[in-house]
Amino acid sequence: MREYKVVVLGSGGVGKSALTVKFVSGTFMEKYDPTIEDFYRKEIEVDSAPSVLEILDTAGTEQFASMRDLYIKNGQGFVIVYSITSLQTFQDIKSMKEQIMRVKGIENIPMILVGNKADLEHQREVPSKEGATLAQIWGCPFLETSAKNTQNVNEVFIEIVREMNTSPVKESNGCCCIV
Amino acid sequence: MEEDKPLIPGVTVRAATPERLVHLCVESFGKDGRLVEDNEFPSVLFLMHKWFMTSDEMAEAYVDLYQSCSDTVACMKPGCNHRPSSIDCQIQIYKAKICYAVRFWISNFPVHFDLDHRLSTVVKRFANLVQCEGNLTLKQLIDLSKVPSYDWMRNMSVRNPSMRHNRKVSLVFNHLEPMELAEHLTYLEYKAFRRINFTDFKNYAVTASLKDNPKLERSIALFNGLSQWIQCMVLSKTTPQQRADVIVKFVNVAKKLRILQNFNTLMSVVGGLTHSALARLAKTNACIPSETQKTLMEFTELLSSNNNFSNYRKVFNQCCHFKIPILGVHLKDLILLHTALPDKVEGSLVNFRKMAQLSQTLKELTKLQNHDNIPVCANMDLVNTLRLSLDLHYTEDEIYELSLAREPRNSLSSPSTPTKPVVFADWLAGVSPPVPNTINKHVHDMVEAVFKNYDHDKDGFISHEEFESIAGNFPFIDSFCVLDADKDGMISKAEMKTYFIRANCHALRKCFKHDFHEITYFKPTFCIHCTGLLWGLIKQGWKCKDCGINAHKHCKDLVVMECRSKQHAACNRRQDSVTNGTPTQELTYSSKRKMSQRQKRNRVHQGTQTEEIYFMDYQMRNSHMNGDGEYYEEQGQLYDRLLKAEEARDKLMAENARLEAKLEASNDQIVTLKSHVGMIRKNTITFILEQMDALHIQRDTEV
Repeated sequence: MREYKVVVLGSGGVGKSALTVKFVSGTFMEKYDPTIEDFYRKEIEVDSAPSVLEILDTAGTEQFASMRDLYIKNGQGFVIVYSITSLQTFQDIKSMKEQIMRVKGIENIPMILVGNKADLEHQREVPSKEGATLAQIWGCPFLETSAKNTQNVNEVFIEIVREMNTSPVKESNGCCCIV
Repeated sequence: MEEDKPLIPGVTVRAATPERLVHLCVESFGKDGRLVEDNEFPSVLFLMHKWFMTSDEMAEAYVDLYQSCSDTVACMKPGCNHRPSSIDCQIQIYKAKICYAVRFWISNFPVHFDLDHRLSTVVKRFANLVQCEGNLTLKQLIDLSKVPSYDWMRNMSVRNPSMRHNRKVSLVFNHLEPMELAEHLTYLEYKAFRRINFTDFKNYAVTASLKDNPKLERSIALFNGLSQWIQCMVLSKTTPQQRADVIVKFVNVAKKLRILQNFNTLMSVVGGLTHSALARLAKTNACIPSETQKTLMEFTELLSSNNNFSNYRKVFNQCCHFKIPILGVHLKDLILLHTALPDKVEGSLVNFRKMAQLSQTLKELTKLQNHDNIPVCANMDLVNTLRLSLDLHYTEDEIYELSLAREPRNSLSSPSTPTKPVVFADWLAGVSPPVPNTINKHVHDMVEAVFKNYDHDKDGFISHEEFESIAGNFPFIDSFCVLDADKDGMISKAEMKTYFIRANCHALRKCFKHDFHEITYFKPTFCIHCTGLLWGLIKQGWKCKDCGINAHKHCKDLVVMECRSKQHAACNRRQDSVTNGTPTQELTYSSKRKMSQRQKRNRVHQGTQTEEIYFMDYQMRNSHMNGDGEYYEEQGQLYDRLLKAEEARDKLMAENARLEAKLEASNDQIVTLKSHVGMIRKNTITFILEQMDALHIQRDTEV
């Protein structure tokens, strides 16, 4: 079974954890223990191929510059999240692709752009079109999600697995790549 | 609601009202005041209560319980008068248990009582109540007079305590032993970390933002500052071997940090050393001994995020005694738990299972607050020097630019990553560089420390050599002659302070980027990088439009030197506006200077607010002179004139600032040129002599 490492990036408060929790725990979980080893691991079937995803949730560590660098080095696919209710969070992620490219030292990076909090339509600050445009520039899929209503949550992770399947990452050890 | 298999011994309740929780806590104590078995419920409740209620509310709940227990508790003893003196009275036993619970709170969480005035008021009132009943033994239990002072927690900055052993160490990076460096970094980490209190952690977990959370912000700034300092210390060296030596030294520091069990600083160091700005330096990496590379790899493995940081978690849990956790990892756990679980269930019941889970992380994070035995003894002079080094604030982009300047991209192997630097968004906007006031204080402490250690004859001056060695700790600051403002060959305290404050106030921002243009020189000119002559008849070299430095075509990308005119312009504008301002303006300016980067956006808004106040003031004054139309008009005219005058003054001030900046830049250029004159003279004479010699030889051979 192929294993995928997916990093969830985005500013504080966009609901990265909520997405992660929804995905790893499904609808119900009796006990949460975020400190156990396989808490962030989940098996899913994508296009009838069983796969294991390990999610690297960056929530809480956004401000630690060098930790983010380490996360990116470790990841293979990237879920980049902003909140549709905050233009600032959308601005924050605009340079994300370059930043990942700089760290990874490769061009074709599997990623997906996600506008979260789609349930708060009345507070929307970022039009869907803008998200779609940025995704087009990046050449990656785009989804609007609601962790609250479990809208498109699984789809995000299925999509990123597909992305990783179509652009197989040359596994550089991330350490000595020449940028 | 109860758990079948409790997560923590004794914590079986899943959800309850606050009153019920308080009652359960009281019931955890025996008649003799001991905890029933290994019941951890009281610790969890007292640690976590601030998540769902204030401390004084909780204390009130105990007082209520105490006052009402003659009605709620039944005493079956025949003929009992329920007095303190009566033995085996159920009511008295219950009252005693309440006091044992409060005593447990006081002795295990004294910090709550010292910092929360309202809480201590309630408990003092409670003590009086108990005393009035004539219950002196119980009153003793809840006495607050022995609570130690936690004054240090109220202060943001780290104060210098009276040190027991002020050990003798060098302040110079090159002479510092890895162990000394590790210990002093641990000291700084410990001081910043233990100030973050429960409420700070809670606010961060709930809001996911550092707004109004200065202590946590300070700690993160220290973390990032250290990573950046390491990168800059490495990149400040000109040859790959020198850079590799610095890396080796920091890996040795990392080893010592591991021994000290300071995982947070270890993360910061390893993060800095493996950062993409350093990892891409192929030539440098080739000079690092394989053993060092192996060690660094092991640390990366230890701190890796793989399997939910399982390597780190295992090792951390095995460590005993003094240890500092990786702040980021545990903050992440808090945020996840808070996202996954609601605070209240079934209406208004406190979700105590969540509290129990959060408590495991928070216990670890707040442990240092009560840990007074830090296993290192620090030299305050070195602490002060290091602290300022870590204050220097760079952006990711600046450091990356520097890295590219040191070892340019290999055009063959590089993918088409953007050549033009992208302006990385305010990704780190949450962490602002320290405010000028803090910097000034740190500069002051550092300079005092330097003079204490290096001004051997105590004449208030240090020499060129001594300064140079200190300067090594601060990559990319100016050379001696800039610092020595009055050119007397010695550096005074005042000169050094002014210099560092200036160097910090714009934090070398954008200072490495030059605007080079090809140019023809009409007199001999030398390259700033290799100091060689710029040869040729036309278009001999490249000149920076802003600061006027000259370089060879092949050298210009290697120049690692600040673009000084940009820096001066920025600095002068700021100073002028302060000195020329009227008193009111001075106030606004100085308060503006205090603003952190993040707040600057609001400036425009603030401006209009002040004006509004002006206007309102003016209107109010007018409303007092009812009916006096003429006077009103005159006032109006005067006010108009005042506005115009102010406008004109502002314009002049701006003009003045611009001119001053220009003057400063020109002066600087003069200094640089003057310093070149000597060299040029020497070189020209040698050149002429050589030419003459050559001619002589030529003539001789012809003859």
